[in-house]
Amino acid sequence: MKMHTKTIQLSSLVLFAGLLAACSGPQVRYGDAKAVETVNANYGSTDLQIIAEAMTRSLLQSKAISGSKDAPIVTLADVKNKTSEYIDTRVITDKIRTQLMKSGQVRFAVSVTEMQNQTDELKRQNQSGLYKNSTIAKTGNMQGAQYRIEGSIASIVKNTKDVKDVYYVFNLNLINNESGLLEWADEKEIRKTATR
Amino acid sequence: MQLIKRTLLVCSWFGLVALLGCASKPPAAVPEQAIVGQVPADPPKNPVINAEGLKAEAKSIAVTDIYFKKEGKNLVFIEETRHKTNNNVTSTITPKTIEVDADKADASALTGGPNSSQLPVKFTNLADPQSTAPVITPVDPQSSSNSADSETQSSKKSGYESKMEYGELRYLANPIRGLLIKSGYKVVQAKSTVAMPNQGDEYFDIVKRIKAGDFGDANYVLYGVMTEVSVTDNVDDIPGTKSSSQQVAFEVTVDFHVVDTQTNQIVASFIASGEGKEVRIDGRDNNFKPSMAKLMKLASLDLAEDVRKNLAAQNFITNNPGSAGYERNLKRRLDDDASTLKVYK
Repeated sequence: MKMHTKTIQLSSLVLFAGLLAACSGPQVRYGDAKAVETVNANYGSTDLQIIAEAMTRSLLQSKAISGSKDAPIVTLADVKNKTSEYIDTRVITDKIRTQLMKSGQVRFAVSVTEMQNQTDELKRQNQSGLYKNSTIAKTGNMQGAQYRIEGSIASIVKNTKDVKDVYYVFNLNLINNESGLLEWADEKEIRKTATR
Repeated sequence: MQLIKRTLLVCSWFGLVALLGCASKPPAAVPEQAIVGQVPADPPKNPVINAEGLKAEAKSIAVTDIYFKKEGKNLVFIEETRHKTNNNVTSTITPKTIEVDADKADASALTGGPNSSQLPVKFTNLADPQSTAPVITPVDPQSSSNSADSETQSSKKSGYESKMEYGELRYLANPIRGLLIKSGYKVVQAKSTVAMPNQGDEYFDIVKRIKAGDFGDANYVLYGVMTEVSVTDNVDDIPGTKSSSQQVAFEVTVDFHVVDTQTNQIVASFIASGEGKEVRIDGRDNNFKPSMAKLMKLASLDLAEDVRKNLAAQNFITNNPGSAGYERNLKRRLDDDASTLKVYK
């Protein structure tokens, strides 16, 4: 009888503690967006930041950009994901673009992925007949980019029972659209090792 | 008393000297005032048009309308039957002429192209003497008689006759006249020329026209001969979108010369082109039809701009005509003889 009472008491305690925990809800807190993230060895926010910063710094020091009298017009092309993970490479190039824009040394033309919106807007203004002629953004006056930025990200992953080693290499190229010459290229390597 | 007299004498001497000094003093040099809003003109560099010449009086120039020469082709089929009896020759000619565009003729009958089967004969160039030589067909005893007294010959000729059309386009040269007026030239109206029947390339003989006085007292004549006109209509996909762009372009290329009417020297020579283009997004889907009037205007303005660049590159006009040209033209208008002015009510 005594044993049975003790079991009931213990169960009640556990239940009570469980209820308390459930009522308190998830704990939310803001963290530092730039803090190093080491949850696992997969591609993460810190990798994105390291790559974007390194590439922007290197690109701004390139002769094509720093030696140009006027801020050259650049467009974003593809960054191919050659890793086995899902990586939104557009986020990388967008981050690089933002940092380059902030520098004021580069101007960006709309990229291929943004062309639908651009043509839709031009069509709306020029062909709907709704707009005052003097205020219309005319078709045929878009500026062509002198350079395009394209690249790739690749990875080598090795696993053992206790260790996971991931090596990322991110390549970025600046290509002169008219001459087809590669004006600048750089790479950023990242190694991450996770142990159990 | 004497001292006072001397003092007065000395004073009067000093006064006289001072007066003389003031009278002989040259007026202070007044710096050339910059006139607000007026730009100093670039000195003209073409050795033929020297700076003094343009400074003293604007040179006059006549700008002809743009000459053109268009080739047309007539497809001709001639059947001739000659009947000779003793000393009498009777001839029956049955010509058949089909007028076609030169390029269509080239693309069809002349080359055995897709339309050749629609045309009655295989065509050769009738300008070629060999092809037009009379062909004496062997006399068919059933269809013709051939005795000692009479003889029947039948010949068939077929081919194309080249036909040249000469003329002047009246709407392309006006923006060019405008830019020359802005540059300070006095632009003279040129007499138009009418092509004669069987006109040849002497239609382009500008020296003959200068001597005939077609350009009045113009110092120079700018004349252009149309090299090519083309209208293109292309549709292309726009990458990254579901849309396409239709581009309709009217292009004109003209060969220009500027001739000095006194010496017949060519002082500038170049080829200029103008393009009028209209771009329509998804135009093909919506059966877009471009305005040829708009394209023509754009092409003539673009042509004038190219002419300006070429004339400036050959130092016939300055890139920066300044206000001198404008002033000269204004002065010329103000100085016109009042008796020549007409008031229309």
